[in-house]
Amino acid sequence: MSDYLEKLPGFVDTIKSIKETVITNIVLIGQTPAPTFKEKQRTSIFMERLAEFQVDECTTDGYRNPIGIIKGTSESKPPIFVVAHLDTIFDKDVDHYYSIQENTIRGAGIIDNSVGVGVLASLPEIFRRLGLRFESDIVLAGVIQSLGKGNLRGIRHLLKTWTTPIRGAVCIEGAELGRLNYYADGMIRCEIDCNISPISGFEHKFKPNAILVINEVINQIMKLRLPQKPRSRVIIGKTSGGFKHGVIAYDASLGFEIQSNSDKMVKSIFNSIKDIVEGTSHEYEVDLTLNTLSNIHAARLQFNHPLVKSAVNVMKKLDLTPVSGPSESELSIFLSRNIPSITLGITRGDNHHQPNARVEIDPIFTGIAQIIGVIMAIDNGVCDE
Amino acid sequence: MNKRWIDTNTFHYSEFSDLHRLVDEKQRKNLTISLCLPTLNEEKTIAKEILIMKSELMTRYPILDEIVVVDSGSTDKTREIARAYGADVYEASEIFPHLEKFIGKGENLWKALHITKGDIIVYLDADIKNIHHRFAYALLGPLILFDHIKYVKAFYDRPIAIGKSKIRPTGGGRVTELVVRPLFSLFFPDLAQIIQPLSGEYAGYREIFEQIPFPIGYGVETSMILDIYEKWGLDVIAQVDLDRRIHRNRDTKALGRMAFAILQTFIERKIKLGLVNYKEKLFDEMIQFNLVKGEYKPDIYKIEDHERPPIIEIPEYCNKFKRG
Repeated sequence: MSDYLEKLPGFVDTIKSIKETVITNIVLIGQTPAPTFKEKQRTSIFMERLAEFQVDECTTDGYRNPIGIIKGTSESKPPIFVVAHLDTIFDKDVDHYYSIQENTIRGAGIIDNSVGVGVLASLPEIFRRLGLRFESDIVLAGVIQSLGKGNLRGIRHLLKTWTTPIRGAVCIEGAELGRLNYYADGMIRCEIDCNISPISGFEHKFKPNAILVINEVINQIMKLRLPQKPRSRVIIGKTSGGFKHGVIAYDASLGFEIQSNSDKMVKSIFNSIKDIVEGTSHEYEVDLTLNTLSNIHAARLQFNHPLVKSAVNVMKKLDLTPVSGPSESELSIFLSRNIPSITLGITRGDNHHQPNARVEIDPIFTGIAQIIGVIMAIDNGVCDE
Repeated sequence: MNKRWIDTNTFHYSEFSDLHRLVDEKQRKNLTISLCLPTLNEEKTIAKEILIMKSELMTRYPILDEIVVVDSGSTDKTREIARAYGADVYEASEIFPHLEKFIGKGENLWKALHITKGDIIVYLDADIKNIHHRFAYALLGPLILFDHIKYVKAFYDRPIAIGKSKIRPTGGGRVTELVVRPLFSLFFPDLAQIIQPLSGEYAGYREIFEQIPFPIGYGVETSMILDIYEKWGLDVIAQVDLDRRIHRNRDTKALGRMAFAILQTFIERKIKLGLVNYKEKLFDEMIQFNLVKGEYKPDIYKIEDHERPPIIEIPEYCNKFKRG
């Protein structure tokens, strides 16, 4: 096992020697808008690039997730999945054209997840340059409908319809280099909508303000006593509402997530919030609805799982310090199906979800070497035990 | 009007996407190809153009033999960045240092002929936000595959960038439609078939470029078409649809100055060809007005019509390329 570890630092320079190709893939794919549910154009570009780099098979599954397969040398070893989500949070009319400086790339969606997808498309060429062949087939999947209301539909469908066993998986995210996610919290993602009838008349003289109603809901959620064990939290992530400064808001909405490493606790907090919504709706006499957008079960590998231990060794060999935390991404779907998997980041960046997000170029090559190290570990059998 | 031309000499970039074929033909014909990017403060876009061209048309498919940046004296990091990404970078003022110095795109294109080595030269503007390698290979396709074509011009949809992070789907091409096409229609109807005569992306054989003069400023694209048409005829020219090019939106006044330079070049050419009998000297100042605190104040721009002669008339060039 230590054989491949020794090679990893040397890999970084070889990968860097095709820097232009890696960045070209990141840019050509990333500059194609792919808001969740509208990933068709990016899917085509991703497939085009995979085909250009001559993967053995290039296709889409029944849900239109684009997939490239590099055939392995063994007939019997199950495939290894390498996955990056294709969709971004930016609409089509946002300028997606990237600006490259001496050591940075800047633009909408570059961190989440153009770098990940561009690296995924570059892997066939990188394997060729490094002279790497694997026993397992390598399945390179750019999955659609991951974020927000997408609710990880792409990866859910891909795994649901994949009929044979999967040896292990690596999920790729643009940032941060050094992240090592091997557990997923239970999570319910919800939206609360408040709508107030705009009809005027005597009985509607003193209308409530939708923003204030949502504010009251937030206040009550904040009053909930959340346990430290099991570790639990409610993240208030999005709000919107109202028309103009001088008019009472007729509608408002709140987006939030309940996260905990206990599914039972997630459900319990959800029920408490449901009670808050029903109570507020009743007391304020307004239409207040609670919609569930996504529901993920808690799942994890233990820190001493061979895949996690190997990943830590790979990262240390490349002078990276592993930082762990929960991840609610594709990882959770793999883990919920008992497929050993981890999520890794490729580089460092800032302004993560802004149109002017920025990544550093130099760390990308270490980030890729780390991915390859983990794929080699899986191919060497760390997930087979 | 030669209506046949638009059918026979208009292509779509997808007709040349078989890059293996282009590489094979290039090698069979023993051609060398240079890409030239004229720059002035293009630090936001230059790296991307060099990277993509280098990756796709040098590393992966050996179509380009060199990428050369000719800079007009950028005050930002254009030259530094271009060098960092592997382009050969020159300051225009350092090429033929003994000649009078001018600043302008045409000056850079003309001087690039001396420092590049290619039999074919591709010129691309350095401010293309949605750069893709098709911008180069599509221009090269007709030149490599068809012996009679010597000069290829790009055309495309022209969405424009508005504000910091939004683009508008249509627009642009105002100087073409309001100035150049009416002029071509009046005097050279054949040339009105060129969809975007002012596009900054074109490629051609050295033997063509070295025999025509280059105005130093905005008039270079118009003069190039007129001179090639006059000297070799329409059939050596082709045009390629590059699909889409995102560019900066220029304000009306900037377009006015551009139109001035184009008209200046056009009329000079007409006089030179004996097609117009105009004895007076043309003025070289564009006068525009601004409303400042209720008063109209003139903004006067001097737009000189300097022109470089065919480079084949320059002895250093002839020595270097063994001409004459």
